[in-house]
Amino acid sequence: MTEHLGENAELYPLGLLDDDATRDVERHIALCDACAERVAQAESTAASLAAALPVASPSPALERRLHEFARSQLGAAKARASIFRFALAAAVALIFLGLGWRTLVLQERLKTEDVALVTMVHSHFNHVSMSPESPNPVAAKILYARDGSWMYIIADKPGGSLHAIAETARGTVDLGVLTSTGETASLLVRPSERIRSMLLQRAGTNVASAKLAY
Amino acid sequence: MDELVEAFAARRPSGLEQVYALWSRLFFSVARHVISDSARAEDCVHDALVRVWRGPNRFAGNREMLKAYLVTCVRNESLATLRSEGRRDARELKVARLAPVSAVDPPVVDPVESRRLQDALGRLPEEQRTALTLAYYGNKTHVEIAQELNVPLGTIKSRISMAMRKLQTDLASAEGTRS
Repeated sequence: MTEHLGENAELYPLGLLDDDATRDVERHIALCDACAERVAQAESTAASLAAALPVASPSPALERRLHEFARSQLGAAKARASIFRFALAAAVALIFLGLGWRTLVLQERLKTEDVALVTMVHSHFNHVSMSPESPNPVAAKILYARDGSWMYIIADKPGGSLHAIAETARGTVDLGVLTSTGETASLLVRPSERIRSMLLQRAGTNVASAKLAY
Repeated sequence: MDELVEAFAARRPSGLEQVYALWSRLFFSVARHVISDSARAEDCVHDALVRVWRGPNRFAGNREMLKAYLVTCVRNESLATLRSEGRRDARELKVARLAPVSAVDPPVVDPVESRRLQDALGRLPEEQRTALTLAYYGNKTHVEIAQELNVPLGTIKSRISMAMRKLQTDLASAEGTRS
């Protein structure tokens, strides 16, 4: 990590830094808790300075614009959610169908992987939407067991090969490339240690990230 | 986590709408102080809120922290717009207000808070108060302030930084006394 922000922590919320320095601050505080705290305190002080500004009220048009934007995003989110629900349902159905067929035909030859899949379907799990990053992000979700034993990453319209990078207590782990089926891409992993956060990269660029809570 | 913060961080439309309902006048007042044209100031508020709401967020704190963060974003968006349009001229720039509150300019927040701020500003060493006031209320860059006061740039940065930290301590102390 680069050295701490120093005086720039106070200059940033006042808008005194140029574009490059502003980006440096934003990148740094994403990684440094101490500087993030210092910037947050400076932001609070800067917000207090607004107490002496002359009051001004926006026109109703601004509220309408934001309302329309918010509603349009709600529609988009519903569309994305329906795609995810379909993909998830399809994935679970395939798992069950696959297991059912094997159970009928090869009942005596159930393997460890099959048991893991049964465990996954029946276990308690959480899910999280990944935060989009970069100007060309990807919409993705992660389903993961509350005990951290498995994780299923699924991305909508991957737009190219997606690479999954996990962060654990011991550092980053390359989980490999998601398997693409065109409209979606997915990856099922059984991590050997607890994953704290996940990053998806396309051609070396971060396109989505998420922190995982257990 | 606060319900409003959670809704905003989760990118729920209700989070964006509630944030606007609570602090729209504050955001607009901050933008309007930088950009005198109301329509462009509204664009800055809109763009800043939408950008923060859509992008990766870093706030996991309380409501006041979210407000402060958004105020910073609105101010930075407004200053960036002003600078990118190259209109830092006499018509666009507000004159630095060494005494920002006056009888004809009602404050954005309650008079008690405004008074506390005025008192805290008054307790700053004069050179620090001047630098901070020119930066915030005068919308000047630290380079411009250094030139105007004929003081090295590093000194101006230090004065502003120290002023902010002293103000922060002073306001926190006053808050503790009041509560």
